[in-house]
Amino acid sequence: MKMTKIYDGAYQWIMYGRDPNKPEKIIDTNQYLVRTAKRCLLIDPGGIELFAPMLAAVLHHAPVEEITDIFASHQDPDIISSLGLWDQALPHAKLHAAALWEGFLRHFGCDSIEYVAIPDNGGVINLDTIELQILPAHYLHSSANFNIYDPRAKILFSGDIGAALEPPGCPIFVENFDEHVDKMRYFHQRWMPSNQAKRAWIDRVRGLDIDIIAPQHGRIFKGDDVKRFLDWFDALQVGIAI
Amino acid sequence: MNENKIKSDFVAVASIAAELSAVMEVAKEISLAAANAKAIAFRAGEKAKGFQPITDFINDLAKETITLVNNINAHALQLYRLTVHEHRMSQACNHFEKVAALAATAAYKDSIELPLAKVRQQKVVSRREFETHVAELLDQLAEVMHPARAARVIAANSRIEASQAGEYLQSLQAVAESVDHAAQIIHVKVHLCRSALTRINTVDCY
Repeated sequence: MKMTKIYDGAYQWIMYGRDPNKPEKIIDTNQYLVRTAKRCLLIDPGGIELFAPMLAAVLHHAPVEEITDIFASHQDPDIISSLGLWDQALPHAKLHAAALWEGFLRHFGCDSIEYVAIPDNGGVINLDTIELQILPAHYLHSSANFNIYDPRAKILFSGDIGAALEPPGCPIFVENFDEHVDKMRYFHQRWMPSNQAKRAWIDRVRGLDIDIIAPQHGRIFKGDDVKRFLDWFDALQVGIAI
Repeated sequence: MNENKIKSDFVAVASIAAELSAVMEVAKEISLAAANAKAIAFRAGEKAKGFQPITDFINDLAKETITLVNNINAHALQLYRLTVHEHRMSQACNHFEKVAALAATAAYKDSIELPLAKVRQQKVVSRREFETHVAELLDQLAEVMHPARAARVIAANSRIEASQAGEYLQSLQAVAESVDHAAQIIHVKVHLCRSALTRINTVDCY
C-alpha cells in the first residue's frame, strides 16, 4: 500500500492507495487519514478486501487505539464494507455517516462502534483542536453523500467527485489536466445522476479556499487543477443513461 | 476452529431449522386430525364412546408438540446467531493476523496485539456457548420424541376403538392412520435434527 503525505503541518493528511496486492477485479480506492496529536480520522477506509493492508499501513502512522473516528462518504462497499472488522479492531471509535444510511450500513456489522448520524445538511467533526466540515454532496453519486472540508489544510475530500478509472499504479497527483479528462468523463456522466445536484455542489465549493481536491478513486488535484476541475465539471452534462 | 467447520455448522443449523419447520406442520396436522376425530366421535355417539377421550389426548399431544417445537425453534435461532458471531470472530482473527504479518516494520505494529487477543478470546467463548446450546437443543429434541411415541400408542388404541364404531369405522380408522403417520414423520424429522446436531459436536475439521 502506497502512503503519501498530502499535508504536513501541525497535523497530517496521509493518503493510502495503489496497493500492488489488491485483487485484480476490485476497483482501486484512495483512503485518507487525518492524524492529530492524539486522535485520527479515517476517511472512507475501504472494502473488506483492503482491510489488512490498509490497517497495516496506518500502523506506520498511528496505533490502533488512537484511531478514534471513521467517516464514510456514502454506503458503497468500496467505501465501508470493512466496517465489521474496524468494529472489532476499534471498539471505542465513532462512525460518522449519513443518517439516511444507518440501517443499511449496520448490515456490515456495527456492534461496538458508535454510529454518529449525519443529517442531510452536514455537520462537523472535531478532532483535537481542528474542526473538519462535513459538506452535503447529495446525489453525487449516492442519494445521501458527504464531502469533508478542512479549512486549515485547505483540503476538500470529494468522495467520488473527481474520481477517475485508471490502470493500477497510476500517479498520485494529476500531472496533465487535459489528458486526465478522458479518464474522468464517463465516470462522472454515468455515476452522477443529477445536473441540478452538480450545480448546487459547484456553487457551494467555489466559495471555499481549496488547495487540494482529494477524491476516493484516481488522482488528486492540486493548485490550478482545482479550478480546472471545477470548470470542467461545471460544463459536463451528467445522468446520461436515461 | 477453521472456516470449513464453521461453514458446515451453518449448513447443519439451517437444515435443523428446515426439519423443525416440517415437524411444526405435521403437529398442526395432528391437531386438525384431533378436531376431525372429535366431530366424528360426536356424530357416532354411543358407538364411538371409547374414542371420545382419545380425541382429547390427540389434541393435547399436538399442542404439546407445537409448544416444544416453538421453544426449540427459538433455541435454533440462538444457535444460528452464535454461528454468525463465531464466523465474524473467525474472519476478524484471520484479518488481524494478516495485519500483524503485513505491519512487521510499522512503528505501531504492537498495537494490533490487543484487538487480536480479544477476537481470539471471543472466538473461544463463542464456540463454548455454541457447544452448550447444542447439548441443550439435543435434550429438547429428545423431549419432542416423547409425545411422538405417545401418539403412536394412541393411534393403536384408536384403531381398536374404531373397530367398534360400526359405520364410522372407516372414518375413525383414517384418523388413527393419520395420527400414526404424523407421529412417524415427527420421529424421522427429529431423528434427522439430532443426527445433524451430533455431527456438529463430533465432526473434526481442524
